[in-house]
Amino acid sequence: MNIRHMRHLTFLLVVLLSRQIPSLQAQDITLPVKPGSVRFAAIGDMGTGEPAQYEIAQRMQQFHQKFPFTFVIMLGDNIYGGKSPSKLMKKFEIPYKPLLDAGVHFYATLGNHDDTNERFYKLFNMNGQQYYSFKKDNVHFLSLDTNYLDPQQVTWIAKELANAPTGWKICFFHHPLYSSGAFHGSSTELRVVLEPLFVKNGVQVVFAGHEHVYERIKPQKGIHYFTEGASGQLRAGNLKKTDLTAVGYDKDHSFLLVEISGDDLYFQAVSRTGVTIDSGTIRRPVETIP
Amino acid sequence: MQPNRFFRAVVFIMVLAGVLWIPTAAGAPQAPPSSPAPAAFGDFAQRVQQYVNLRNAVVPRLRTTKQSKEIVDRRQALAQNIREMRQNAKPGDIFTPEISEEFRRMIRSTFQGANARNVRRTIRQGEPVAGWKLTVNGDYPEDLPLTTVPPTLLLCLPQLPSKVAYRIIGHYFVLQDTEARLVIDFIPGAIP
Repeated sequence: MNIRHMRHLTFLLVVLLSRQIPSLQAQDITLPVKPGSVRFAAIGDMGTGEPAQYEIAQRMQQFHQKFPFTFVIMLGDNIYGGKSPSKLMKKFEIPYKPLLDAGVHFYATLGNHDDTNERFYKLFNMNGQQYYSFKKDNVHFLSLDTNYLDPQQVTWIAKELANAPTGWKICFFHHPLYSSGAFHGSSTELRVVLEPLFVKNGVQVVFAGHEHVYERIKPQKGIHYFTEGASGQLRAGNLKKTDLTAVGYDKDHSFLLVEISGDDLYFQAVSRTGVTIDSGTIRRPVETIP
Repeated sequence: MQPNRFFRAVVFIMVLAGVLWIPTAAGAPQAPPSSPAPAAFGDFAQRVQQYVNLRNAVVPRLRTTKQSKEIVDRRQALAQNIREMRQNAKPGDIFTPEISEEFRRMIRSTFQGANARNVRRTIRQGEPVAGWKLTVNGDYPEDLPLTTVPPTLLLCLPQLPSKVAYRIIGHYFVLQDTEARLVIDFIPGAIP
């Protein structure tokens, strides 16, 4: 162990000792924790290496003990600033070490602060691709690169969604198609390309980051949109009042827990202090055979 | 155009034709006019392919790795190798005056078309960029956030081989080697 490692561990200890995280109460989990369910967490804009990211990571670890999610989807801006090995350690490997050691996989998407070479980093499970898909039980996930939605990627998305078996189709990427955030707002140019594809192919849920808040959008053309961009960054007070918002939270950092069992998707958004800021159920519509 | 790329272009145009036919609240972008690609784009494609052939000769294949140092070392080695092979590279080697003019025309039309408002908004959503000096063969700045390249614009421009991408930095239109994080060439003042 070299001096740099010692410095990082010391930093972690200081964070742990200076901010005592209250212990988790059983009633803090609102998810049903059904046998055999698909369980994951969603975090976005987290790669700061600052205390808030570490606190969120600790909170996730606490909740993992009661809700053992098996993977995390990362909604972009995974590593801010330089991408040296020490930065990657500080902004990913150390904060999430307990989860990594517990066998939790992280699936990343690229944000506007990311380097495309992050796709070669094995712990991001991108398999060297800027966009990719993976399957968990009856859930088909697509990770997209919305920094660069070129014709090749659009063609790939269309084919992937058309060929995906029946079940849940979930897309995650960095730039939200719908957002009440004042700093960025909705990515309307991306929406005109992606939304028709999503609607046509029965995508049910979309997760995005970029806006440093939590927001659940009212269903748009039958699709449920979540923004979780406050897992390291935060723009307090940045949510405008719009008709889009079902629930919004911009007062503290947060992360999202999701459980899918059969045709039901359960979600719980949790703040840095362990408060549930949003929860609910989404039922997958029955697919009609044309 | 290689058969594989031609097939992908055909599939994409068929997909987008189907996509654009569905009306959306935000207003669908217009499909590109079915006029032949400018001759300058053919020249551009050749120059880009020459660059890609050159860089592919010096790049070791990288598999995914848990060692982030390998990724950093490879990127730096690749960038250094490319610089050595392109010692005399200068602005305009790929974006020649004729090619630049064609790109400017396409970019301008994207900013004036039916989807122009969305395009401008997309670029302005990018975080502020100030004080950057671009140089051919220079590093693409590490802590500079990416500006989303509007899909409508990408639709109008020549498709690029993998590992090369268009980027927007302020008013500059940039050709970037994404693995080396290198500026290959750029057009100043192309972005309104």
